Amino acid sequence: MTTILAIATEEWRLWLRSRVAILALLIVSTIIAATSLLNAQRMAEERDQRMHQQTVTEQTFLEQPDRHPHRMVHYGHYVFRTPPPLSLVDPGVDFVTGQSIFLEGHRQNTPMFADVRASANLGSFQLISPAFVYQVLVPLLLIALGHSVFVRERESRTLAPLLAQGVSGSSLYSGKFLALATLAFTLLLPLLILAVITTFMGEQCVLVASLTLVYAAYLLVWCALIALTSAISPSRGLALGVLVFIWLMWALILPRLAVASAGATVSVPGKLETDFQMYADIRALGDGHNASDPAFARLRANLLAQYDADTVDDLPVNFRGVVAQTSEAELTTLMNEYADRRMHAEQSQSLHIDRFGWLSPAIAISTGSRHLAGTDLANHHRFLREAEEVRFDFVQGLNQSHVEVLSYADDINRNQSAEASQRARISAENWEVLNLFEFAPDPSAERASRSAGSLAQLGLWLVMLLAVGKLASARIRP
Amino acid sequence: MEAALAANSITVKRSGQTVLNDVSFQVAAGDVYALLGGNGAGKSTTLLTFLGFLSPDTGTVEVLGDDVGANLKDVRLKIAYLPEAATLYPHLNAYENISYFLSLAKATADQGAIDAALDRVSLKEGARSNRLDTYSKGMRQKVAIALALLRDAPVLLLDEPTSGLDPVAIDEFNALVRSLAEEKRTVLMVTHDVYGACQIADRIGLLKDGELVGAFDRPQSGQIDTEQVHAAFAGRSGS
Ligand SMILES: Nc1ncnc2c1ncn2[C@@H]1O[C@H](COP(=O)(O)OP(=O)(O)O)[C@@H](O)[C@H]1O
Ligand SMILES: [Mg+2]
Repeated sequence: MTTILAIATEEWRLWLRSRVAILALLIVSTIIAATSLLNAQRMAEERDQRMHQQTVTEQTFLEQPDRHPHRMVHYGHYVFRTPPPLSLVDPGVDFVTGQSIFLEGHRQNTPMFADVRASANLGSFQLISPAFVYQVLVPLLLIALGHSVFVRERESRTLAPLLAQGVSGSSLYSGKFLALATLAFTLLLPLLILAVITTFMGEQCVLVASLTLVYAAYLLVWCALIALTSAISPSRGLALGVLVFIWLMWALILPRLAVASAGATVSVPGKLETDFQMYADIRALGDGHNASDPAFARLRANLLAQYDADTVDDLPVNFRGVVAQTSEAELTTLMNEYADRRMHAEQSQSLHIDRFGWLSPAIAISTGSRHLAGTDLANHHRFLREAEEVRFDFVQGLNQSHVEVLSYADDINRNQSAEASQRARISAENWEVLNLFEFAPDPSAERASRSAGSLAQLGLWLVMLLAVGKLASARIRP
Repeated sequence: MEAALAANSITVKRSGQTVLNDVSFQVAAGDVYALLGGNGAGKSTTLLTFLGFLSPDTGTVEVLGDDVGANLKDVRLKIAYLPEAATLYPHLNAYENISYFLSLAKATADQGAIDAALDRVSLKEGARSNRLDTYSKGMRQKVAIALALLRDAPVLLLDEPTSGLDPVAIDEFNALVRSLAEEKRTVLMVTHDVYGACQIADRIGLLKDGELVGAFDRPQSGQIDTEQVHAAFAGRSGS
């Protein structure tokens, strides 16, 4: 153990003398500072925009004068998904999904800035975020600094004197790994600082700790790989070449292959295609604005029987309102079926991609990081579902007023004259149907447990690489 | 008296080629044994086999009675090895290099002890705190020899220790090796320097193309006859 420590310390002395470690730390700190500032700025801008939209639409909605209730159904309002503080580190799918939805009657709008096929992306690979820096750039930096860690001894012929002091090849490997590991931990400091900042923004400590842990595990995988490659390579150039190749595979090629494979295995029908089909189905349900649509004949008959009435004029409820309400419910059931099917397919794709983490630690970290940050697809889907509930409640709330507050006679005669039109309006007090929507990120236990798979993948890689490294280096000859 | 070093009919192949062919010899404790041979004769290979860096395809090597293959770590701690064209870390000075490599062998030496060893190899005092990448080849060789001395190991394996040294330094080194023998340390050195070998060796083995083709013992008084060895070396190696 003291030998391993001595070897690691010696490596640090070299790094400090050549100032590479300091330079590396500076580079990483600068990039992290820049990306998190940009990210924070983006989040702040989005928040301002959100607040603005929110106030404007809410005010407009509530300030509407007395009106016909169904006109309000088309006014609608916005709901927003507040990103969790850790999205400062890993914006995940937020880069591509958009976080605000306009809610209105008869429609399920897609979130703004939306590219809804969120499953078919590895969000953090598209724009630079601190997560991207740690997942893709820091390993490259570790390769640049570490590829020679072992092979240098071979090339400068110091391996013989080292081994001749009774140091075993595997101790040498462990020492070099320890040196790289402590270097990686040093490079993790900016992330740690950033993560701690998010706790002041209300992020759970356990998540911040877990996130740091998976990134540490990920970088350790790289350290083990770099030490191993350096130990068995005959020359520096070969070690560098092999490591850069693996980096390309893990960080760039396999993620794209995973997406392609997910697309080929789980088909998500195109949006145009499904929308076309959905609108056809919707038309079959009948137009909820037209109470005499034959689609509502059964409803009419049932209602007449229930209230023992001869005509809809005799009903104690506004038949047009009932039609609007029923039609909205049927429509929503149908739209939810489509949405569920799409989300289910996207989720399957996402799980398919997750499994590629067994092949590429870079995929494992990107998945685990998003789960922990609360910026994964599941989180986005829950937002869509909750937003839909809000939409349905407020539309049906207005329809309820339509049924109860507005009489059928006033309703059908609303176009007769100006006074008739006045009579078909209900009081603005009825607009207080907007539920305050507060989207909470997934609870920490759930986020942590979702990331367990990634941690297992990284753990397996680490154990495997360390074992191979120890075995291979035990046979090292000068 | 048991031999400190023994090669028992060893055959060593490297990259499929037989580099040592059925070589047997022994070095008595406290003796200086010089293995003499031309380039590529297999001298370095012999030392690497004693260190366990190469395993003989047939035969065994023993260090102080221990089979090398079976007791690798113990054996290495009993050996101070000076590699061919020895280099230590270029970014460290002489003191730092020696302290570090000693610490790996679980040995320690204070500044005084290191200075004493560097005095013995007569490394300029003014250079000792400079990084090794400012040293000449001979100065680096001296630091490596000092390290071997400080290991305080009962057995020393020296691969062409005088290469790169100037004539004065060579004479000093030869005297140093004799004093090691007086301290009852066993020295196996390989060289192609006939003159130097005759000066200090108790026994010379002549290695040619991987085979031991002759041996010369030091007479009771005086040293091995240079002319005789030279004739054998030049004649038999055919160059
Ligand atoms: N690493 C190696 N791999 C394969 N063959 C080698 C290696 N090193 C040396 N040899 C061969 O082994 C033979 C003996 O080499 P060596 O023991 O270094 O000779 P010497 O030290 O006597 O000059 C030479 O023919 C050389 O080409
Ligand atoms: Mg040699």
